[in-house]
Amino acid sequence: MHNVWLIARREYVERIRTRGFLITTVMIPLIMGGLIFGSAFISSKSVSTAHIAVVSSDTQLALDLQSELQPKQGTPGSQPPPARRPRFTVDAMDIDPHDAQATRALLNQQLDSGDLDGYLWITPAASPSRRPTFTFTARSSEQDSLQSTLAAALGTVLMREQLTHRGIVATDADAMLQPVDIRSASLPVRQDHESAEIGVFILFFLMYMVIMLYGMNVARSIIEEKSSRIFEVMLATIRPEEMMAGKILGVGSVGITQVCIWLSAALLLSAGSGAAHLGGQGIHVALTAAQIVFFFVYFILGYAFYSSIAAGLGAMTNSEQELQQLNLFLFLPLIVCFATLMNVLTYPDSTMARVLALIPPFTPLLMYLRVSLGRPTHWEIFASIALTSASIYAIVWVTSRIYRVGVLMYGKRPNLPELLRWLKYS
Amino acid sequence: MSIVQLHHIRKVYDTKVAVEDLSFTIEPGTMFGLLGPNGSGKTSSIRMMIGITVPDSGSVSLFDRPFTRSVLGRVGYLPEERGLYKKMNVLDQLTFLGQLHGLTAAVASRRATLWCDRLDIAEAIPKKTEDLSKGMQQKIQFIAALLHDPDLILMDEPFSGLDPVNAFLLMSTLVDLCSTGKAVIFSTHRMDQVEKFCNSIALIHRGHLILSGSMREIKSGYPRNRVLIHFEGDDAFLQHPCIEGLTRYNGHAEIRLRPSPTLADDAQSLLTQAIRHARVTRFEVMEPTLEEIFIEKVQQTLPIKNGKLSMAQLEKTDGGDVDA
Repeated sequence: MHNVWLIARREYVERIRTRGFLITTVMIPLIMGGLIFGSAFISSKSVSTAHIAVVSSDTQLALDLQSELQPKQGTPGSQPPPARRPRFTVDAMDIDPHDAQATRALLNQQLDSGDLDGYLWITPAASPSRRPTFTFTARSSEQDSLQSTLAAALGTVLMREQLTHRGIVATDADAMLQPVDIRSASLPVRQDHESAEIGVFILFFLMYMVIMLYGMNVARSIIEEKSSRIFEVMLATIRPEEMMAGKILGVGSVGITQVCIWLSAALLLSAGSGAAHLGGQGIHVALTAAQIVFFFVYFILGYAFYSSIAAGLGAMTNSEQELQQLNLFLFLPLIVCFATLMNVLTYPDSTMARVLALIPPFTPLLMYLRVSLGRPTHWEIFASIALTSASIYAIVWVTSRIYRVGVLMYGKRPNLPELLRWLKYS
Repeated sequence: MSIVQLHHIRKVYDTKVAVEDLSFTIEPGTMFGLLGPNGSGKTSSIRMMIGITVPDSGSVSLFDRPFTRSVLGRVGYLPEERGLYKKMNVLDQLTFLGQLHGLTAAVASRRATLWCDRLDIAEAIPKKTEDLSKGMQQKIQFIAALLHDPDLILMDEPFSGLDPVNAFLLMSTLVDLCSTGKAVIFSTHRMDQVEKFCNSIALIHRGHLILSGSMREIKSGYPRNRVLIHFEGDDAFLQHPCIEGLTRYNGHAEIRLRPSPTLADDAQSLLTQAIRHARVTRFEVMEPTLEEIFIEKVQQTLPIKNGKLSMAQLEKTDGGDVDA
């Protein structure tokens, strides 16, 4: 145990001292922050405002639609638009009965120049009992998001018109058409679902990056020590298992240190400025203590899982290039986690999420998401930890054998039968 | 008591036999040379002595006990390929390696400084290993093997790549250690080094032990049948009946004596003859060099078609597969 400690300490001290550590410690939050701010900024830009024109010979309809889409500020009782609904600026236009073509050409031109995001052309119905025809023309990229909002608004406007026609007082009609507001009522912890989601997502991304980064670091440093032949000196004193354990612990502690630095910096910042607001959208990061504890539990499991695989890969290769050919084993499960991320984030308790989260390579990342956002049973949490620990044990058993033989093998990369034979060597 | 005892050890890597039926014993205070061309199994044998690899059959005993890892604290090992952490500074590195051998940090760093002084590399102490010359790195590695004052010192090709001055410095350090009762084993393919310093050797070729024992015993087993003579004057003594063959040069001659049970006396009688006729400035009965013995031994076990065999050829036939 003393040797493991010595190796781990050397690994830790030497790594912490490097400039690379300082750089990643500073750069990764910057890059991540940049990405998050950037995407929040872009999405706020793209959905928040839309400038459309409504062309109709029925002026009243156009004005109704305008007021429906553009709620007057400060009107008592008026609901602020839901965060994700575009804010509309609506120009109501009359059709010049003589020159519909000219109007259309003008609008198309505005569309092209970007002054307008789209226009709605209302052709009056042939008979009063029929509905008019609506044609919406938009810049292709905007079409979908605008069209659904428009359709809903039009539905309301037409319904109100019909109701008024049938002698219902306008205020009553408004009351009837008030959109139903479903409050999300869940466990108190999860009230702030959206901000929790963002915090969890950041930690998920962090976990993913740190596991990958430090897993690769383990493999790379094994290759480096292999090519500098330091192994020979070490193996004359200590067991290969001790070396491997020391290395994984040492490198992993560096990763944990880094994560701790980031987390405490984030906590300090948010405490210092009074609010952890990111951007003007009211997005803020809210994390509970339990989420942070589980983050570390699953981070450590995930790191142990992937770094032991990486140690095995490092031991059987001789150069970075060879390692890259085998990297797939390391990245594939992590990529699968990423591919299912959105699904698990939205439906953390779906059958797919529940099954995937119990499969050891996916457990650390996906179970962490479920614990934070879904409601896994105690049994599931326990099973996920137990299964992952058991598979880590199995992997360490296999890789320590590969390691023992592999670190002294130079030259060509072993093929599968050779690897299997290595397992039998003692 | 014996420090190392190998008992019929054998190691096979896949299809290549690295070591076959190797046995020898090393006593305290011995300077033991493990000889053989590249790829003959020297490194494999040394690795098995300290448990880096385990023999397929046979047994290894260190300090009169079957090998266990617990004795590794008494063993110092210098591997063939130097291995140091490039980015670490020399003192940290030596302290770390000393700690792995069970020293405390304070003791390890004090000894490291003393050793650096002794080997004349005190100025390297604060530097990073990668900034040092190859020779200096080798000395650091050398110190790393000796820091914990081991009773058994194993050095795999310790002098390769060193200039003569430094090679001599390290060699005399080893001789000093040897005289304090420690056993030193070193492997080399340079037979001339061994001849000067070793008192016991083992010659291996293609994993097989060809020859082992004390240097005296081995050499005495080979006839001292060659004579070098420098002389002035009459060369009639060169007709002496005990001479089997001879090469004449200007002022001296190399003589091969006829094999006979009285070889030593023959040489004396030749000298008497020579003194009678000529003025002798030098007369030496030469023992065969290790290299010659080695070549002769290998030729016995391995028929060579063109009759003559050199070290270079031996190495060539083995290929360069040292690490297997």
